[in-house]
Amino acid sequence: MSVAAASLAVHPCWSCKGPVATRALFCSVCGAVQGPGATDHFSRLGMVPTFEIDRDVLDRQYFGFQRRLHPDRFAAKSPKERMLSQSQATALNEAYETLKDPLKRAAYLLKMLDHAVDLGACGTISDPELLMEQMEKREEIAEAETVAEIATLSAAADAEVLACQCHISAAFNAEDVDEAARLTLRLKYLTKLADDARAKKIRLSRG
Amino acid sequence: MAYSDKVIDHYENPRNVGSMNKDDAHVGTGLVGAPACGDVMKLQIKVSPEGIIEDAKFKTFGCGSAIASSSLVTEWVKGKTLDEAAAIKNTEIAEELALPPVKIHCSVLAEDAIKAAVADYKKKTGAG
Repeated sequence: MSVAAASLAVHPCWSCKGPVATRALFCSVCGAVQGPGATDHFSRLGMVPTFEIDRDVLDRQYFGFQRRLHPDRFAAKSPKERMLSQSQATALNEAYETLKDPLKRAAYLLKMLDHAVDLGACGTISDPELLMEQMEKREEIAEAETVAEIATLSAAADAEVLACQCHISAAFNAEDVDEAARLTLRLKYLTKLADDARAKKIRLSRG
Repeated sequence: MAYSDKVIDHYENPRNVGSMNKDDAHVGTGLVGAPACGDVMKLQIKVSPEGIIEDAKFKTFGCGSAIASSSLVTEWVKGKTLDEAAAIKNTEIAEELALPPVKIHCSVLAEDAIKAAVADYKKKTGAG
């Protein structure tokens, strides 16, 4: 992947003009904070671009970077540095929000591989197998009347989400991008189903 | 975001909710989904020998706008010919329900659902 090259890219520091890595937060020569360079979410957080990621590592990277960009550290700095540190923090936020969510992470990886599945698009799909299955499962949830029933359905839905994530990981590892895209769409529906089941479980438990 | 009174009316009192036997020779079934919201919509039509839509049913799992759009379409298509039904535009649905721009895809879903139902019926009867 061309991603390795992206993480090695350098540009001149705005302050001292010395070379600085595109994904660096600070210039290693003069120490000035850098604006968010044009790089992908994985490189920005110092992660390898894979679907399967270690959530602890991701959190450690993110919170470690954010600590160094805390506004208190820039209170005495120039307006330019305050502004850059804020844009850098915003870019890190966006990267973190995308990578911590398996569905967004899968969609983002597909986009990096030039195989966009537009989960926010207006388009409709007519995959009869997926839709029929989802229609039946949503009906089961709608018809569940007891906490025990909905708990079983909710657990099954959660298990399906995890299973689908495993399949997505396998598809990415096998470099089967079409399959990864198909499964990512499926994950969108399964996530919705699991959310639905969980919401109803909470509602029935309170009632 | 505020829903219009028409959306709320269709959402609270949806018309024609239900299912028909999809294996019935006179029934066309359209099943479509909107990945943006994880919605799924089933729209079915019962067609007379003269090619007029006698009855329509829907089942939608989605937001209020998706339910209202499918409810409205089932009302509109009754008494129409297959071609008239397939000619319904999502813009007409969106306008009638005063859908906000972020919910336009719900009306697209309803348009695609009726088109799919008509196509399914035509395929069944060999007329398409």
